[in-house]
Amino acid sequence: MGKKLKQIAIYGKGGIGKSTTTSNISAALSKMGFRVMQFGCDPKSDSTNTLRGGEYIPTVLDMLREKSTVKVKSVIFDGYNGIYCVEAGGPAPGVGCAGRGIITAVELFKQQRAFEDLDLDFVIYDILGDVVCGGFAVPIREGIAEHVFTVSSSDFMAIYAANNLFKGIQRYSKSGGALLGGLIANSVNLPYSRDIIDDFAQRTNTRVMHYIPRSVTVTQSELQGKTTIEAAPGSEQAAIYMTLAARLADHENSSTPTPLETTELRQWAKGWADQLLELEIGVVRESAAI
Amino acid sequence: MTNRFIERPRGFCALGGAVLTASALPGVVPIMHAAMGCGGSIYWNQYGSTGYLGAGYCGGLSVPSSNIQESDIVFGGLDRLDEQVRSTLEIVEADLYVILTGCTPDIIGDDIESVVRKYSSGGQSVIGAETGGFRGDGYAGYDILLSALANSYVKPAKAKTPNKINLFGVVPGQDAFWRGNLLKLRSLLERLGLEVNSFFTERDSLTGLLGSGEACLNVLVSDFFGLRTAEAYERRHGIPYLTNPLPIGPSATEDFLRRVGEALAIPRRTLENLISDERRGYFRYVERIADAYNDLDWQRYAIIVGDANYAPALTKFVADDLGWLPRLTVVTTSLEGKDEEKIDRVLGNLSCGCKVKVVYETDPSEVAGHFWRIAPRRSDSLHQLSFAPAFVIGSHLERPLATDLGAEHLTVTCPVGNRVVLNRGYAGFEGSLSLIEDLLSVIAFQR
Repeated sequence: MGKKLKQIAIYGKGGIGKSTTTSNISAALSKMGFRVMQFGCDPKSDSTNTLRGGEYIPTVLDMLREKSTVKVKSVIFDGYNGIYCVEAGGPAPGVGCAGRGIITAVELFKQQRAFEDLDLDFVIYDILGDVVCGGFAVPIREGIAEHVFTVSSSDFMAIYAANNLFKGIQRYSKSGGALLGGLIANSVNLPYSRDIIDDFAQRTNTRVMHYIPRSVTVTQSELQGKTTIEAAPGSEQAAIYMTLAARLADHENSSTPTPLETTELRQWAKGWADQLLELEIGVVRESAAI
Repeated sequence: MTNRFIERPRGFCALGGAVLTASALPGVVPIMHAAMGCGGSIYWNQYGSTGYLGAGYCGGLSVPSSNIQESDIVFGGLDRLDEQVRSTLEIVEADLYVILTGCTPDIIGDDIESVVRKYSSGGQSVIGAETGGFRGDGYAGYDILLSALANSYVKPAKAKTPNKINLFGVVPGQDAFWRGNLLKLRSLLERLGLEVNSFFTERDSLTGLLGSGEACLNVLVSDFFGLRTAEAYERRHGIPYLTNPLPIGPSATEDFLRRVGEALAIPRRTLENLISDERRGYFRYVERIADAYNDLDWQRYAIIVGDANYAPALTKFVADDLGWLPRLTVVTTSLEGKDEEKIDRVLGNLSCGCKVKVVYETDPSEVAGHFWRIAPRRSDSLHQLSFAPAFVIGSHLERPLATDLGAEHLTVTCPVGNRVVLNRGYAGFEGSLSLIEDLLSVIAFQR
C-alpha cells in the first residue's frame, strides 16, 4: 500500500507573491525529506523559475502545440533538491483559452497517472490569480487537489480575490471539490495588516496558516534565480517558510469557508478604511485610552 | 413559453441559420470556423427539415470548415482558420466567401476580423460574421449574417434609386417555401413598377446584393426576422424600412401592397389596378372551388402551429379568406413579451370575428397539451371529441397530434420533412391559391 499523496492548490491575486511563496514551500518540504512536484498553472509559465536557477522550462501546452500526444515525463523537469517542476503553460496573451489550457494539462497528468508513478508526497499547484472562469477552478473541482490555500495581503483587491476563491470552493464543496486549508498572509509588516487579515479570516470561518513579512532577502534570492530556502537558508525569512511548510505538511482537515457577499465585503472594507483613517489622524478611542 | 430545455428543436442554431442563408445567396460560399461536428449536425438537420433543399455548390456536407480541436481552443484557432481560408480560396470558386463562427471560437474570442482583413486587403472578397450558436436561433443567424453583409459588403451608394427596394424577412431553409414566397412577392411588387432585390432567388445575383445600398426602401415581410439587418441598412446606407406580416391570401396581401404603396408614394391608380387585377385572378379560381367547398363541407376547425411569420399569417388566411375556424394557434418562435403582444393584436382582430387562442410554445410535445386545455375530452361517449372536422397546419412534428385528433394535416412550417419543396410558395394572392390547393387536396385525398 503506497503512501498518501497530498495535493495542494495555492491561489491568490496576481502579483501577490503566490509563486514566491509556493516555491519556498516546495523547497522547504523537499528539505524536510518529502518528494514534491510543483505544478505551475499560469500562462506566464514562471512559477518554477526560482527552483530552476531562474530558467524557464518547456510547458505541457508547448509540447501539445507541437504534437497531438505528449508523454508527461517529457514535461517534468528537475529542480532544486529534486523537486519535480512542471509548467502547464498557455496561449499567447489575448488569444485562445488559458482556462481550457489548464484543464488540458491537468487531465493529461491524470490520464497518465504521473503522480502515482513518481511516488510523490506532495503536488503543489500554483494557480493564476482570481478564479476567473471554469478552467481555473479545475484543480478545485475535479477532485484533484484536496486542500486549497490562498495567499493574500491585507490589500482590498487581494482579499476580494480570496473571497471569490472562497465562493468557488463553496460552490464545489458539496460535489467532492477541494476544501479550504487556510490563508497565507503575505507582506504583513504593519500591525494593522495582520488585524485586517485576521478579521477577514474570522468572518469567513477560515484560519491563517502563517504571516509572512515583506523581506529584502526574498528579493535578493529571486534576483539570483533562487528560493530563499536555497539562497539564504539561515535567514529569518527561510525559517518562516520552513514553519509554514511544516504546518502545511501537518495539515489534515480542510473546511468550507463562508465567503462574504459582495455588498457585505464592501461594507467590511469601508469599515476598515474608516478605522485606518482614524488611526492616521489620531482619533483616540475610549478602549485605547488606558 | 417553456424554455426548460430544447426538445426536438424545430430549427437551427445561429450558425446553422447563417450557413443556410449564405448557401442560399448566389455565388457565396460559407467557411465555417467551428468545432468538428457542427457542419454535419447542421446538414443532417437541414436534410430532414427543409423540404429536401439539398446542399448546392459547396453547401451541406461540403461546406469548408476549420474543424477546430482542443489545441485550437487552447491556443486560439486563427492559424487553423487562416489555413482553411487559404486552401478554400485556392480550390473553391466563389464570388464571396463568408467566414461564420460556431460557439467555441466565439467563446474564446478568436479575432476572425484579422483573418478577414488579411484576405480582403489581398483583394479577395471575404467577410466574417460571429454566429456562435448561443447567439440565438437560425433566424438570428440569418439576421447576423445579412447585417454583416450590409455593414461590410454592400457598396455605399452615392444616390438612391427611386422605386428600387430590397425584400427581406423570408428566411431560407427555416421557411421551406422561401424561394417560391420571395418570387411571388417580388413579381407582385414589380407590377407596382418597382425594381426588387430579393437576394436569394434564381432571378437574383450577387451584384444585386452589392448594389442594394441604392434602394430607397427595405421591405421586411416579417415583424420579427431581419430587423437587425434593416437597422444596419438604415444606419449605414440611410435606407428606411417597413415591416409587415408575411402576406398570405388576398386580405393580407392587399394590406401589404397598400402599405408599400403608401411608403413609396405609388400612384393610387397603379396600386388599385394591381389589387383589383390580382383579386379578379384569385376569385376566378376560388369561385369554382367554392362549389365543392360548400357541397362537400370542406370547412374545418383549425390548429395552426408555426414560427412567428407563418403562425399569424396562416391563421389570418384560413380565418379571413378561406372561411375556416381557427381555434388554436401555436407560435413556435421564442419571442420577447412585446413581440408576443404584436401577434396577439393581429390575431385578436381577425375581420371574420373568430376568436383564436394564441399560445407561445417552443416544445413540440406541449402542443397537444395546449389543445386539450381548450377542448377537453367529454365523458359523453357519443361526443368525446367535439373538435371535428379538424385540420392541423403545422410542421411534420404535428402529424401525431393530427392522427390523434382524426384531423387532416398539412406540413407548411419548419421542420418540413414529409414534403418536397421546389418553387412552391404561399405568399401573395397567387401563392394562397397553391395553399388552398394543398389544403383542400388533403381533404379530397380521403375520398
